[in-house]
Amino acid sequence: MNLRLLRQTLSARRSTLLIVVLSAVGWGALVPVFYTSFSELMADLIAAGMPPIIENLMNFGSGSFFTLPGALTIGLQHPMAIALIAVFATGAGATVIAGQRERGTLEVLLARPLSRHSLYLSMAGALLLATAAVLAALLVGQLIGSTLLDIVDEIDGALMPLVWLNGLLLWATFLSFALAMSVSFDRAGPAIGLSLAFLIVNYFLEILGSLWTDVEWTQEYSLFHHFQPSEILTGKADLTDLLILGVAALVPAVYAWIVFPRRDLAAPA
Amino acid sequence: MLPAPMAAAEPTPVVPVIHTQGLTKHYGSVRALEDLTLDVQQGEVFGFLGPNGAGKTTAIRTLLGYLHPTRGTGRVLGLDITSESVEIRRRIGYLPGGIALYDSLTGARVLDLLADLQGSAPVRRDELSERLEMSPKVLRRRVRDYSRGMRQKIGVIQALQCDPELAILDEPTEGLDPLMQQAFYAILEVLKAAKRTVFMSSHILNEVERVCDRVAIIRGGHLMALQTIDDLLARRKRQVQLRWRGAAPDLTGIPGLADVKISGDRLTATLSGEVASFVRAVASPSLEDLIIEPARLEDAFLEYYATEDENGQPA
Repeated sequence: MNLRLLRQTLSARRSTLLIVVLSAVGWGALVPVFYTSFSELMADLIAAGMPPIIENLMNFGSGSFFTLPGALTIGLQHPMAIALIAVFATGAGATVIAGQRERGTLEVLLARPLSRHSLYLSMAGALLLATAAVLAALLVGQLIGSTLLDIVDEIDGALMPLVWLNGLLLWATFLSFALAMSVSFDRAGPAIGLSLAFLIVNYFLEILGSLWTDVEWTQEYSLFHHFQPSEILTGKADLTDLLILGVAALVPAVYAWIVFPRRDLAAPA
Repeated sequence: MLPAPMAAAEPTPVVPVIHTQGLTKHYGSVRALEDLTLDVQQGEVFGFLGPNGAGKTTAIRTLLGYLHPTRGTGRVLGLDITSESVEIRRRIGYLPGGIALYDSLTGARVLDLLADLQGSAPVRRDELSERLEMSPKVLRRRVRDYSRGMRQKIGVIQALQCDPELAILDEPTEGLDPLMQQAFYAILEVLKAAKRTVFMSSHILNEVERVCDRVAIIRGGHLMALQTIDDLLARRKRQVQLRWRGAAPDLTGIPGLADVKISGDRLTATLSGEVASFVRAVASPSLEDLIIEPARLEDAFLEYYATEDENGQPA
C-alpha cells in the first residue's frame, strides 16, 4: 500500500466526505426523534385495529419502530443511510480505477513505481476509511439524538462498536464488489451500473421479504440480512453474520487482486 | 613459484538501455506490434516514427508493463519488462501521449504528488519550469484552467523533473507552440549532454531529423527501418532540376539518376547516391542552373509508406 496515494485519494474527496459525514450525523440524530414521535402513536393505532400491513411497514428491513435498537436499525437501513454510505462504497468504489482509466490519469499514476496491487490496496484502503467514517458518523448521530432525547439508556452504548463493525463488513462487501468492477472495465459507466445493480438487488431482496411475509425467504439471499444492529444491541449478536460478510467481501477482493495485474491497459480512447 | 598469469581484462559489455527481441502484441486478431527487435544505447536520442495506429504507443506501453506481450522479450535498463516493471518505472520518466492530469489540483501540486510517488527529488523541476515558462504563479493555478499547451508542459516537466536515466516521451511536442518546441529541443540537448537516454515517438519529422541520433520507422506494427538519421538521409532520393542554354542533353547513363523528365531546356529527375559524382557528370559551360533539393527525413519516411496494401499493411 502506498500511503501517499491513499492520502491523495482521500484528499481528492475531502469536500464530499465532509458533506456526507455531516449529513450522516444529521440523519443519525433524526432517527431517535422519529422513534419517540411515532412509535407510541403507531402502537396505539395498531392496538385500536389498524390493518396488519401497517405493522409490517413499521418492521422495515430487520428493524422495528417499536424499540430504540429496532429504530436505529431502520435508520441504518433506510434509503437515506444507504445513499449516504453508497457515495463512497459504491459510487467512488466503482469509479476510482475505471474513472481514472477513462480520463487517462491512471497511466500517469502507473508511470510511477507502483505495482497494480499497491494501487488497488491504496485506493481500497482510502475508500474503506471513508466508508467507515460515514458509518461512524451515522452511529454518532444516533447516539447524539438518543442522548438529547434522554433515551440513550434503552441501548447498550458499549455495543455500538460491534454495530459499526457489522455495518463496515456489510459495506466492505459492496465496496469490494465495486472495486472488482472498477478494475474490470475501461469505462466508469459499466462499473457503476453493475455495482449499483448489485446493491439494489440485495436491498430489494431484504426489504421485500421484510414487508411481505409470503416471500420472507428472499431475505436469506440478501447481504443486508447479515447486518443486524438490533440483535447486536439487544445482546443477541451472531458472529456467523460477521463471518459471512467477511467471506463475501473477500471474494471480489481476491478476484480484483488476480485480474487487475493481468489486464492490458491500452491507451485511453 | 611463478605468479599465476593474469587474465586478460575483458571489456565490460555495453548493456543497451532498451532491448527488445521479437516483441509482439496482438489484441485478438489485431496485430498491433509484430516482432519488434531493437536496441537503444545509453545517451542516445532515439526517434520512434510512424503514423497514427502504426504501433508506437503499443510498443511503449508494452515496455512500461501496461500491456503484456503476446510473445517476445524486452529489457529496459537491464530489467525485464514483464517481471521487473515497477523497478523500471522507478528509473524512468514517461510522458504519455495526450496526457491527462488531475484537474482539481494546481500544477505545482500535481508535480509534487508525482515526484512523491516517484520517490525521487525533483532536481530538474526549476530548470524545466524556467525553460518552459511555467512560472511559480502559473504553477499555482489549477490544471483545469490550463490550456492544452500548458498541460503538455506539465507533462514534460513531470516526466523529466526527477532526472530519470531514461525518458520515454510519446509525442512530446504535441500542443506546444513553436517557441516552446524550441525550448523542448534545448532541454533534449541538456539531457543528451548529461548522457541521459531519450526514447521519443513522433510523427513530426522535422523534429526527429533535428534532435534524434537514430530512428526506427514502424508501420502496421512492423519495424521498417532502424538507422541513424545520416544513413537514412544518405540513401534517400533527392529531386534534381537542371536548366541549360539550349536543349537539355541526354543524361541517361549517369549513375543514380532516374525518373528523368525533359521539357525543353529543363530536366527533372531523382538522384540516389553520391552528389559529387553527379555534379561532375553534368558540369558543362551550357548548364545555367542546378537545384538539388536537400535530403529530408520526410521523404525518406514517405518512401517506407509509399506502398501499402488496402489494409494499411506493408506490401
